[in-house]
Amino acid sequence: MTRELPVSFCLSASTRTDMPMRIVFEGVGKTRKYYDSQNSLWRQQVVLRDLTFQVEDAEVFTILGPSGAGKSTLLRLVNRLEDPSQGHIMLDGHLASSIDVIALRRDVGMVFQLPAFFPGTVRENVIYGPKLHGTKTGLDGLAETCLAAVGLSPDLLGRRTQDLSVGQQQRVCLARALANGPAILLLDEPTSALDLSATLAMERLIARLAVERRLTVLFVSHDLEQVRRVGQRTMLLIDGHMVELSETEALFTQPQSDLTRRFCAGLWKEEKHG
Amino acid sequence: MVDVVLALVLVAIAVALSRVKGLNLERDILLGTLRAFAQLMAIGYLLNFIFDLHRLELVFVLLVVMVLIGGQTSSRRAKSLRGRFLIATCAIGLGTFATLGLLIGLGIIATQPRYLIPLAGMTIGNATRTCSLALERLRSELTSRAGEVEAALALGATSSQAAQHVIRAAVRAAMVPLVDTLKIVGLIQFPGAMTGMILAGAQPLDAVKIQLIIMYMLVAAALIASLSIALLVIRKYFTRDHQLVVL
Repeated sequence: MTRELPVSFCLSASTRTDMPMRIVFEGVGKTRKYYDSQNSLWRQQVVLRDLTFQVEDAEVFTILGPSGAGKSTLLRLVNRLEDPSQGHIMLDGHLASSIDVIALRRDVGMVFQLPAFFPGTVRENVIYGPKLHGTKTGLDGLAETCLAAVGLSPDLLGRRTQDLSVGQQQRVCLARALANGPAILLLDEPTSALDLSATLAMERLIARLAVERRLTVLFVSHDLEQVRRVGQRTMLLIDGHMVELSETEALFTQPQSDLTRRFCAGLWKEEKHG
Repeated sequence: MVDVVLALVLVAIAVALSRVKGLNLERDILLGTLRAFAQLMAIGYLLNFIFDLHRLELVFVLLVVMVLIGGQTSSRRAKSLRGRFLIATCAIGLGTFATLGLLIGLGIIATQPRYLIPLAGMTIGNATRTCSLALERLRSELTSRAGEVEAALALGATSSQAAQHVIRAAVRAAMVPLVDTLKIVGLIQFPGAMTGMILAGAQPLDAVKIQLIIMYMLVAAALIASLSIALLVIRKYFTRDHQLVVL
């Protein structure tokens, strides 16, 4: 069956960057099956529960929560690396599940927690997306532009990815995502392997790119200070539940729930295990 | 047959060694010896019967049965995959019949049971081993390179584009034993068919010619079979929407 694509999913990479996008979650839930080898049976685990919220155009939206809260799964639903078990996600007014998945992923870039590369050089990795989609000319220029956009020298283009520092690797991953000209950027704890100065540099870079390219950014983090530095609005996610969603500063200074107050004070973990 | 019975002395030595050294292999060796004897005697009588009949359709039926057994054996390497038996059988069958057909078409081998059955047997055996290796490697590569595969999917690659490196690695690994055999054959290893022919009184050069044809056939069949199984199986690890299924 041929699906009709929404306008924003048919635009060329150069113009698509001017097209920010609103993301709407409506009653989104996710359950996963897993094998319980102790009792030799399949079980179901609820990862996300009935999430309804929206991320505005060109907003830097942070998702805060402890490990195992479902933050990464939430991101993976947006670019359809997984699909929700309940509810649905709308991108720019269109059901994500009705959009051609390849076109959707071109418009929704993602940087994973750990850098993963294809065999070859930095150049080959950066132009991987555009090459897949048939771009044949101007690839060298595009690779240089994307590398410059993330603050890396074009001298790195010929280098093997494994020879770079982790900070450089994560920037190359960001450049690779930008090369497709996405309207949405999904960042899954992109600084978790970096030291403080590299983390701060990466945060500044993302803030700049979000403004320059009018990107809608979903930034996942478990770091309270980082969320405070990066996010315009923040959602606190615990055990798949949306505990609170508000302006980031308000989340820390005027929390509406006791759980938020305890989590933002760094007490939640102690309570959980103590 | 007296010679075969006398050769059992070697099995007795192996059993005695196993017992003395506490290897606990006596039962397996004895059972294996009995099975080998029964299976080879049975196939010997069956081949005699088929050779005497001179009927190609019977040969074809026998080859199909051999391919089915190969498919069943190889598919055990991917117990969690649906349709594994059909996939493995198709891959082994394609490798076998494509190469055998080409050799017949080129007039290199005659369409006689005494040529077709042993050649197909060797080809199916090799293709089965290669398919088993490819299946195992495909799964381990997909597990260890899941990050790379998902990074490609996230950039808009289709599942077959995202799994390209994984497929290459699996097929290359599966072909390594056979390719290595090609490199050392005649130097430190005398292959079975050639050795058998020489022992049976054939001229060494005639034996070499047949052995070369067999080697080339084995390589082509194994590559066709392992590539086919990798391409068919990889689809099982992805959904229609190009999502990597949790392994």
